[in-house]
Amino acid sequence: MTALDDGVRIIDAGKPPARFARGWHCLGLTDDFKDGKPHEIEAFGTKLVVFQGTDDGQLHVLNAYCPHMGGNLAHGTVKGDAVACPFHDWRWSGNGRCAGIPYARRVPPRARTRAWLTLERNKQLFVWNDPEGNPPPAEVTIPEIEGIHGPDAGEWSEWTWKTLRVEGSNCREIVDNVVDMAHFFYVHYAFPEYFKNVFEGHIATQYMESSPRGDMDLGTLSSGRLRSDASYYGPSYMIDYLYSEVGGGIDGDVEGGSGSGSEGGSEMEIVLINCHYPIDENSFQLQYGAIVKKLPGMTDEQAAEAARLTAEGATAGFEQDVEIWKNKTRIDNPLLTEEDGPVYQLRRWYEQFYVDAADVKDEMTRRFEFEIDTERANKAWRSEVEENLASRAEQTGTGA
Amino acid sequence: MQPVECATCGNQVLCEKFSRAHTSVQWTAEAAVVCTEFRARVTAGATSARIRTCRALRRSIDDAVENGTLEITDV
Repeated sequence: MTALDDGVRIIDAGKPPARFARGWHCLGLTDDFKDGKPHEIEAFGTKLVVFQGTDDGQLHVLNAYCPHMGGNLAHGTVKGDAVACPFHDWRWSGNGRCAGIPYARRVPPRARTRAWLTLERNKQLFVWNDPEGNPPPAEVTIPEIEGIHGPDAGEWSEWTWKTLRVEGSNCREIVDNVVDMAHFFYVHYAFPEYFKNVFEGHIATQYMESSPRGDMDLGTLSSGRLRSDASYYGPSYMIDYLYSEVGGGIDGDVEGGSGSGSEGGSEMEIVLINCHYPIDENSFQLQYGAIVKKLPGMTDEQAAEAARLTAEGATAGFEQDVEIWKNKTRIDNPLLTEEDGPVYQLRRWYEQFYVDAADVKDEMTRRFEFEIDTERANKAWRSEVEENLASRAEQTGTGA
Repeated sequence: MQPVECATCGNQVLCEKFSRAHTSVQWTAEAAVVCTEFRARVTAGATSARIRTCRALRRSIDDAVENGTLEITDV
């Protein structure tokens, strides 16, 4: 190394983990799997098949490849409570047992394939992944969302649901966003005015209060102040409770909301899900969706439209994240400032899902809190935005 | 990080302050076991991880800054 390179920070790109996180992973909305057909899911470095039993009505998840000759069950058909392979019609039950081979005198005694543990909650389907093969401990579950399961569920819209396949990045990239205060300004065009993280047990939370940058327009729900209370329950499923200011400054962006909001400063309640499952160590399927609580006077259609707009706002946001991930390097030794948030502590928390349950250390799960001083950052950003607006006004003034 | 003891329940945590507004708190034991406020709220059905802060501990940290036992690190 030459003297010129002395003290130069060398990026350690590291390697993505060789295994997939232990935890519940959301595969999508249950309704989307309940059409009588088998569905193929690329996940955990393999392929899975999801199907609904005709008689039991249950959703089942099996390894997609048939243990007989490797046919893909997701390209087969549902027959009763079993999925039939397109290759030789071997039938596989939801519990992984071979339910029959029409042309054979008998089923081989050890004819079993892998059945994945499932959970239906929040109108979504989850599978449990554990490289050690153990079931989840009781406290590790997906909480019920009030807007779906609560007594007031009727006041909420249905899910608007979206998926986005991310190639060339390990899913740690999206988890890193939990602590990344500054990227909300640069990538998501918001002023993050309050920002706090709490990690404890298998839950990692981000509390944020933000307002939109005046010089950028994402064209969706970005025009009011926003409170966000977002937790990852395990490695991949985040529930984000959003409280969005409507009325006053929202100039009709939230259709239907503008009417009731004009009385002055009501709040729209939104639940945004941000979840993913790994396809392999270097790609993942991002899924997200929103439900919205009807404001007084809102019709079902208006609530659905608000949920759609929320999801579209999320799309714009995630697409900007993806653009960053596509072009960045993995980095195991980020160089941080005080305003950057606890990246290392978050990764220490995240590590618990990649080691054997017996090797989860207290330091990975002990409560840790980090509240960022956002003042200096916001002061700098405010003046940057003012300059942008001023120079834009100047150009419009002279140009047109 | 410096130890700070909660004046209400005696729970000890490790703290770091980069500025008045910034606070970093590393708990050294199970929050729902050692902290009175957390214990009460968890007993009432709350999830420990979803409690934003312990108000009593927060006051103790502010006091520790006031009386100089917890220094604001000027990096």
